[in-house]
Amino acid sequence: MLKRYLTALALLLAAAGLSAQDYTGGVKGTVVNRNGRQPVEKARLTLMQGANTVAEVESAADGTFQIPNLADGMYTLVIVAPDFLENQVQVTVNDGYVKNMFNLSLTSMQQVTELDDDSFAAFDMDDSGYNDNPTILFGSNDIFNNLAGYNFSSVRFRARGYTSESQDVYLAGVRMNDAVTGYSPFSLWSGLNEAMRSKETVNGAELSDYGFGGYNGLTYIFGNASSVRKGLRGSLLTNSQLYRLRVMASYATGLQDNGWAFAANVSARLGGNDWIDGVYYRSFAYYLAADKVFNKSHKLSFVFFGTPGERGAQNASTQEVYDLMKDNMYNSNWGYQNGKVRNARVRRTHEPVAIVRYEFTPSDKFEGGATLLYRFGKNGYTALDWYDAQDPRPDYYRNLPSYFRDSNPDMNRNNEYKYAWSNEIWTHASEFPGLTHINWDRLYNVNYLQGGRSKYVQEERRVDQKDFNASVNFKWRASERFTLTGGLDGRMNNTEYYKVLADLLGGEYFLDVDNFAEREFSSQAWKIQNDLNYYVANGEPRKLKVGDKYGYDYLAQVRNLSGWVAGKMVLGNFSANVGLKAGYESFWRHGLMRKGLFPGYPKDENMAAAWRNLGIEPSEEWSSWVSKKAKFFTYAAKLGLNYVIGGNQRVYANVGYFNDAPKFNQVFLSPRTRNTMVDNLQTVKTFTSDVNWQYSGGGLNLRATAFYTTINDQSKVMSAYDDLQNAFSNFAITGIDERHMGLEFGFKVPTYLVDNLSVQGALSLGEYIYTSNPRMTQTVDNSAETVMSDVLVSYWKSTPVAARDENGNYLDDVVDHYQKHYVPSTPQLAASIGLAYNYNYWFIDADVEYFAHSYLDMNPLYRTDYATAGPDYNITPEEVLYMTTQEKFKPAWLVNFSVGKSWYIQRKYQLGFSLNAKNILNNRNVRTGGYEQTRLVDNTVSRERFYRFDPKYFYMSGFNYMLNIYFRF
Amino acid sequence: MKKIYIALAFALLSLVSCRSLVEEWQPVFTGKYANPETSKIYSESDLRDMGFSGTFTTISALKALYKNAPYAINSNIWIKGQVTTSDVSGNLYREIYIQDETGGIDLKLGKSSLYSEYKIGQWLYVSCADLVLGAYNGMPQLGAEADNTSTNEYETSYIDVQTVIDQHVFKGPYAEPLKPLVVSEQDIKNAISKGFTGELWGKLVTVPGLLYKKEIFALFYPNPNMPHKSGNPENRVFLSDNGTWGITTWALTKSRYISNIYEGLWDAAEVGSGATRYGPITGAPADYLKPGKILDSFGFDSHSSYKDIMANYATANYVSHYFVLGKTDVQVRTSGYAKFADERLDERILNGSACDITGILTVYDGSAQFTLIDEPSVSVIVK
Repeated sequence: MLKRYLTALALLLAAAGLSAQDYTGGVKGTVVNRNGRQPVEKARLTLMQGANTVAEVESAADGTFQIPNLADGMYTLVIVAPDFLENQVQVTVNDGYVKNMFNLSLTSMQQVTELDDDSFAAFDMDDSGYNDNPTILFGSNDIFNNLAGYNFSSVRFRARGYTSESQDVYLAGVRMNDAVTGYSPFSLWSGLNEAMRSKETVNGAELSDYGFGGYNGLTYIFGNASSVRKGLRGSLLTNSQLYRLRVMASYATGLQDNGWAFAANVSARLGGNDWIDGVYYRSFAYYLAADKVFNKSHKLSFVFFGTPGERGAQNASTQEVYDLMKDNMYNSNWGYQNGKVRNARVRRTHEPVAIVRYEFTPSDKFEGGATLLYRFGKNGYTALDWYDAQDPRPDYYRNLPSYFRDSNPDMNRNNEYKYAWSNEIWTHASEFPGLTHINWDRLYNVNYLQGGRSKYVQEERRVDQKDFNASVNFKWRASERFTLTGGLDGRMNNTEYYKVLADLLGGEYFLDVDNFAEREFSSQAWKIQNDLNYYVANGEPRKLKVGDKYGYDYLAQVRNLSGWVAGKMVLGNFSANVGLKAGYESFWRHGLMRKGLFPGYPKDENMAAAWRNLGIEPSEEWSSWVSKKAKFFTYAAKLGLNYVIGGNQRVYANVGYFNDAPKFNQVFLSPRTRNTMVDNLQTVKTFTSDVNWQYSGGGLNLRATAFYTTINDQSKVMSAYDDLQNAFSNFAITGIDERHMGLEFGFKVPTYLVDNLSVQGALSLGEYIYTSNPRMTQTVDNSAETVMSDVLVSYWKSTPVAARDENGNYLDDVVDHYQKHYVPSTPQLAASIGLAYNYNYWFIDADVEYFAHSYLDMNPLYRTDYATAGPDYNITPEEVLYMTTQEKFKPAWLVNFSVGKSWYIQRKYQLGFSLNAKNILNNRNVRTGGYEQTRLVDNTVSRERFYRFDPKYFYMSGFNYMLNIYFRF
Repeated sequence: MKKIYIALAFALLSLVSCRSLVEEWQPVFTGKYANPETSKIYSESDLRDMGFSGTFTTISALKALYKNAPYAINSNIWIKGQVTTSDVSGNLYREIYIQDETGGIDLKLGKSSLYSEYKIGQWLYVSCADLVLGAYNGMPQLGAEADNTSTNEYETSYIDVQTVIDQHVFKGPYAEPLKPLVVSEQDIKNAISKGFTGELWGKLVTVPGLLYKKEIFALFYPNPNMPHKSGNPENRVFLSDNGTWGITTWALTKSRYISNIYEGLWDAAEVGSGATRYGPITGAPADYLKPGKILDSFGFDSHSSYKDIMANYATANYVSHYFVLGKTDVQVRTSGYAKFADERLDERILNGSACDITGILTVYDGSAQFTLIDEPSVSVIVK
């Protein structure tokens, strides 16, 4: 302590010595927490003039500070406090006055900062066509996001019911959402929490200074060297939900006298968890960055990072399986090999990102930036593949008791003997590990018997991107009243989709033929070839070795160019901003493998002759070569109005209209086999509006928002194995309309009874529904013909419930009411209330959450007239109700608790911990998502109706904790 | 500093305490997995641990237990036999034949791609207790208890629960494949006269000198999703009693079925069965059926021709080709899912040359029927 004062004293003396005279000027103010305006004590304030430290003081218990004896001039005040983001402000001292800075707010580093892609289990959606990407809400300075981001994440809450694709994520000036799918890109830097900590977030349709954004907020991550907290930091984290251990270290120099700043961040995430067997991490991360400030107006940043590693995935099963296993977190992806656990589904990725950014600040009024960003590397996902062999999945429906007995006689399943044995297996799972989990030993043994040709292999599906981005942005404060921002963004994305043979599982080779095509075209050897050119040249399919490409190989080519401009006008307490954006987007498929099913035409007479010899028939549709180009003109407009009342209140509203291009993966019918696109491509049209009220002051912090959004003309392609067609089937759906409306409310209010104790809460109450009946085209991979062509999905937006007569029987043509269908996989009601205690670097949070109105993702097939009619073409009210009703999940209660504290030790070290305990009630029955299987049971006794296959579900983990211990040197 | 040490110790402790270290640090093995050992091949002495009494019942003695009704085996009977079939060509599905010196039997192992695990010539030991011996149109089969459903027409069901397979079927040593038994017309006649217990049924045999009768039999269900059993003749089309109906391939794949329909080869085929005949497939259900539930069940197809309905709901189909040995008919019945389904019968056979056919001989309603195991270039040899 003494030493600290001596240092400060020495500095003051030095400053005094330099000036050799006394000044009357100075700086004073109060350091407060931006969230809640509570004073921050022991914040360290360093006053710099250029690179020279002029003074260093610490804030008092009430947050106040004073730096006297300053000469007139410009200074930089750097404020550092534990658990807060570093802040810098410019101070001008003139005429010898003590400048009162009033409140200097610090943004609290979220107490629960460990929120990134890792916070969510990777669910394996197989080839279902569904996706499961929750929105990641970051706390930053918004009270609602602060609470919802942490407390609602366990149930995969999606803000305002929007998909994660609609959440814009920018890194160093570049929008990072996946070019092909639009998915948010957090996995690219998970494990680099230190390096990517500095971010700014806006909500809904608000305009950000950094990019135009959409209707679901924009998160801007700085990512450069000087945004990383100075010093050497290390942390150890243990977690019972995802991985055992995370070790992380970071080092940053801060901006040095020579104009350079360097930063590095490395981490390793390792091990399994308490809940889901087979899920594990072996992931690493690295980050290197440098900033060079040439003079006040030029800055160059270099960043390079990557997160190599692997992560085992979890699969969904039917409730029957979960009940039999007495475990809602049963994972069918793993099994024993030689007694060791092996997961068949492993995500193996290494996608480095390289960034060069230039920033230009010629004056206080203008700042501009330009970024070049390149993402590359590999993204692999393993899975079992097999040729003419039994389905290796333990929970395949024919292995389950329900396949042998069903109480409904129409299902035609009644074999007590087999039911009993099947039930015996699943209820005594530990005695039958080879039947209730993948039996790797059996797969190897089958391969051993085949004379070299593997029947079972492990494939790795690759989605390798070459994503090049260039972006320019500027901000010009034209006057006190008017600020203009804008930018230009260009993107060239070339993503190669293919698979490689990852493991021959004891065999010597695997043949490159299409298993599904063979069922139908077994007598036409050419037609079942995945690589027809190889077959024509060699007279046989390729014998694949580990590492060989096979199956399919195509490029998704995406090109984007867009520009935006936004103006902000301030008139007293009123401000308004207007933004416009226009762009051009095009994409196409480029097939790199000529498949027997869709060979197209021969390229020359030699090839034509070879084809005639082998009886190969040309096709109109192409598996190889370049598809038509989908081209879109996109545009968007935003308007924001903002009114400040007094010092504490703000009322603001936003409206926006967006005409966006669909994504590549939403328009190609069967990109693995051919170039065909959905007919009648439409842009997605979104209208959004919100009205907000915010209050902060006196320790109170509130935000209330009402929002209304319509999203029209969306399209989607889903693929699934279709029993009726005995082939891989694709469902292209167009014209999906949604309406999202609701309220958000967040608050933190001091109790006034106990010092430093606040009550906090968040509420999200919405209605997110489908408002159209889309159209659907079904095709199969094996054939260019359509199975169902542009049929109406009559029951997509609602289920008509028929009126009943006095005997309770449904009346055929009288609808009593319509049951709405909802946007799935997020609670439409999420509420949290709790207590927060903050004192002397202690924090304690205890919250109770309630989630309700969450729905299962629907498949379109069950909502067609075809499925409701059944084989007899007769649609009855019972069939409609049974087939088209959307499943609603049960509501859930959760209790979470967090505690943390940090200490300064000898001024040199900082040590802290946070412990988060989630789901303290150990509720293991909370469904967070899942999907309906796109298959029908058709072999009934009556031949009058179809039945559904059981849906598959994902569950939230039971009680789990995360302990983070961090230290700083 | 002391605080740091305490905190680190606390961290380590919490890492360790949850479960045992070993389990946690290797929740999933991520090194190089060793290849598993080859699975067990049972010798006869191993079987004693499985409850084998020491004496095998012969297959013919087993068959003798059948008395015109499914026989649930309730004693500790074991049989053994060598595998004679493979489903690699797709002509067999979810069944395997084994045979000893006294006979062969159809073992209804209800899994696909059995050839991947059971090799021709390999010995299999079957513990028959709890299994059911039944007949399918006179052909002996060993399976599991029959389904207890209203539509069930089988005396046995597939043995498809893996534990049931594991408890009853034991893989023995590999051996040379059995040579087919060459049989005469008299052998076949004898077998037919013995019915269920005929020694040839289920055995791998070669019948030499067969002549093609230029006659086929096939049964189609125009809309297979609708009821199509004998009570629904409006959804059945037979090709029989009229030569080959232009069919020159061993069976009908889906695409061949469709092209034959549109080539008009079967335009004269009649909808209906038994005494109920409606008219040729060029007509539509509405032409033949009275308004009502049956016609309604064709839905919007009711005004389409049966030809169009058949093409629309096309599947692969079985075909039986009739051959004759002396005066005894032998059918060769082939699945439309067989890899050789689209292969044409050898031109010389169509032109009247005799051939030797090798396959599994079965009995169907008192007549002999072949199932080819190998593709015809191997199993059908023209003289």
